[in-house]
Amino acid sequence: MPASRESARAPRRLIAPLWIAGLLVLLTFLVLYPLAMLVFGALSDSNPVIDGFAKFSPSLDHFVEVVVNENVHLAFYNALLACGGGTALAVVIGLFFSWIVVRTNTPFRGFIAGASMIPLFVPPLVAGVAWGILGSPKTGLLNIALKWMDIDFRFDFYSMTGLIVVFGIYYAPYVYMFTSSALRNMDPSLEEASEVSGASAFTTLFTVTFPLIAPAILAGTLLSFVVMLGIYGVPAALGAPANINVLTTYIFKLTAWSPPLYNTAAAVAILLMLVTAVLVWAQQRVLSGKSFATVAGKAFRPRQLNLGPWRWFTFVLALVYLFVVVVLPTAALVIAAFRRFLFFKDFNALFDAKAYGMWHFNAVFDNPLTMLSIWNTLKVGIVTAIIGGVVAFAIGYTVNRTSLRGRRAIDLLATIPVAIPGLVIGVAYLWAWIGLPGGLYGTIWILALAFVARFMPDTVKALSTSFMQIHRELEEAAWISGRGVLSTIFTIVLPLARPGVIASMTLLFVLAVRELGSSLFLYTSDTTVMAVLLLDYYEGGNTGKTAAFSLVQTLILGGLLCITTLLSRTGTTSATRVG
Amino acid sequence: MKRRTLMTGIAGAAASWSLPALAQNNQFGPKELIDAAEKEGSLTYYTANFAEVEQEVIKAFNKRFPKIKVAMVRAPGGQLITRIKTEAAAGKLAADVVDHSDRGLMVEIADLFQDYTPPNAADYRPDALVHPKFWPGVTLGWCIAYNTQLVKNAPKTWMDLTKPEYKGKQIGQVVGPSGGTTWTRIMFERQVLGDDYWKKQAETQPVLFPSGAPTSDSLVRGEISIAPLLYNIIYTKIVEGAPAETLFAPEGVPIIPYADGITKTSKSPNAAKLFMNWRLSKEGQEFAIKSLGNITSLKDPPAFPKGWDPKAVKVWVPKFDEFEKLRASWVEEWNKTYGYRQ
Repeated sequence: MPASRESARAPRRLIAPLWIAGLLVLLTFLVLYPLAMLVFGALSDSNPVIDGFAKFSPSLDHFVEVVVNENVHLAFYNALLACGGGTALAVVIGLFFSWIVVRTNTPFRGFIAGASMIPLFVPPLVAGVAWGILGSPKTGLLNIALKWMDIDFRFDFYSMTGLIVVFGIYYAPYVYMFTSSALRNMDPSLEEASEVSGASAFTTLFTVTFPLIAPAILAGTLLSFVVMLGIYGVPAALGAPANINVLTTYIFKLTAWSPPLYNTAAAVAILLMLVTAVLVWAQQRVLSGKSFATVAGKAFRPRQLNLGPWRWFTFVLALVYLFVVVVLPTAALVIAAFRRFLFFKDFNALFDAKAYGMWHFNAVFDNPLTMLSIWNTLKVGIVTAIIGGVVAFAIGYTVNRTSLRGRRAIDLLATIPVAIPGLVIGVAYLWAWIGLPGGLYGTIWILALAFVARFMPDTVKALSTSFMQIHRELEEAAWISGRGVLSTIFTIVLPLARPGVIASMTLLFVLAVRELGSSLFLYTSDTTVMAVLLLDYYEGGNTGKTAAFSLVQTLILGGLLCITTLLSRTGTTSATRVG
Repeated sequence: MKRRTLMTGIAGAAASWSLPALAQNNQFGPKELIDAAEKEGSLTYYTANFAEVEQEVIKAFNKRFPKIKVAMVRAPGGQLITRIKTEAAAGKLAADVVDHSDRGLMVEIADLFQDYTPPNAADYRPDALVHPKFWPGVTLGWCIAYNTQLVKNAPKTWMDLTKPEYKGKQIGQVVGPSGGTTWTRIMFERQVLGDDYWKKQAETQPVLFPSGAPTSDSLVRGEISIAPLLYNIIYTKIVEGAPAETLFAPEGVPIIPYADGITKTSKSPNAAKLFMNWRLSKEGQEFAIKSLGNITSLKDPPAFPKGWDPKAVKVWVPKFDEFEKLRASWVEEWNKTYGYRQ
């Protein structure tokens, strides 16, 4: 056995540095190079492609301009408030749901699990529009209903509270995705030990279960906060009517003005990145030096808590949540999609059958760009999910499961893109990649590449939590039995991490389908994607067509969700078997 | 753009094409140009206008010239310019024709465009032209729109929008810095309606919107009751039966002529020329007025929007040098007056 280990090590000594170098080159191309373009832009008044680097005369003017600008301060404060509040809400909801679904005997858990993911598939712009239709103070459907019932209370979603609530409910699935796979992969013997020692189920939950999945909770919290910071659609639809600016709406304004102020926008984006960098650093400080391995080389069966009659209480709670986040906004979208105009004289006007029809769908499918964009979006989504999944697995494995030199740098590089708002990085990708030889520009590949780069942090983090949970002893066992690294990965790590891998690739597909900011600069007439067309419908002031098209998009994504749920279920059972 | 509306519009436009096709085609250019364009068979069109609207333009063009395929790229104004500049610098500018609302930005990149004059150049208002390479394929105009279910006593003039009876979030306003079209309107307000117009109007506490489209949507939904709007944004909705009505105010109608041109690097210069010729022709302009709710920069308009009395309506075009020079400081003042944080 020592001989075989020796022979396995020798080539590894050569391969490892090459492997690390390869990853670093890849990340440099995907992340550092566009980022350098962004920094270049923030430090100058020029467009690097047009003016070349020769004209570069660095100055901090844009940063100074941004730092002393009172409107930036306000936008910054608003962003922290909206995203902070939203994250807190998302964590509470997401954690509660993953617990209900994975660890209790609440009825119809599978259904709840599927349905509670729906908000994730709704583009932020559509979520904002839907909640505007429901909760606008003057004509919101909820308020029309309240008026009809003679209740004096009125909702106002055009407010900070509205922003927080909508952020919270739409990003709860993020936290859910992270924590549910962690809970599912957790050895319940630790909880049993706690309960045998006399702790109540409740105490166990907060002293054993949640602390054990802390990396997943923290990762989910951090990611949802940072992702919220970068969302444009929700604050655009709900904040703008109340004149509430956040950083993204501010950046969008900078890029939409004539002439567009990309260089200033780049400076704001870099400040935003610094905030995120601090958060990521804080997360690593909190997690460093602790072991969160909960999947060990021992067979276990995911344990379920018998809630007794209380399971109906959790079930009703879940139904209420689903009604609020799925039924209400979907109903609003369906009404908007099938109704000619959204003017309601009174509550009864809602039931006027003559006002409903297929006009918006006909118009949407009459547009030749619609089918083209759906086809392109699917292609880009699949390419992104596959390439991105492979890249993320390679990075996640290297960072979490090896002690190779350079892995910290890889981790850092792979985390950076999360902090850069899409609108700004879109321009950086254009600047960085348009000049490349070959026909990359104008194909769907450039879009896929941008999405892989932009969503690498999301995918890598989602995967890392799965890696962190697989105990090293399982791999060591394989090595001791004479398996090589690759063989170990394919026979041990990949099957065990399969739910995580599928979840990450699904996430990547969803994010790619929704992504607007970077698409806007990289699409060409032949490579139009759905998000671009959706913005066009929205900007055209056509809520009906926006709603109709987003229902189409939601159906497509929903179909995919069903497929991956099935895949990840078989994945879970096989993982348990292997373990 | 709803199908039925457009069909009606297109049918209307088609009915007016009563002259023999050959004679008609001459207004779009000589036979050699048309043959060469059809041989090229396609062109790429960059536009800052709404994609849906431009799809209809392309459809109408293809009714006349079915052999020329038009591929379109649409992006918001500022982003489109950045893209054009970057693509051009990398030697990968795909556009044959560019259609843009901000004439100032287009003049800055005039080097990227070739000389071009449409056959009916002399028919265009000189004040709508800012550069010999650029022509107003699209011209938009400002009207006052109101929700007919909510407004009992509709405003009749721009000055009416300062009346106390419309106070308290009844009026919607697109913010001054939103782009060239709104800048044209607020420039008109200050130069024509008086230095204190903004202040008086702001006292009615209007709701501020980032752009025109959500404003028109809110008007139809009843979030707001009255709003100055670009006519084309509300026109198609009214045709479809939305509870709204418009009027062109007697003090003047600010119009925004676009700047459209053909790129120097065009791979289909003949198709591009023919497309431009058609859009700028009487037929193309008439189609845009009747079906899309555009205005025109032709001296002698082939059609008028509903409620447009050619004897009473005064078209107002901003002076281009002032349009550029006053912009930053006036927009800043507008922001202060309306309490808009930028």
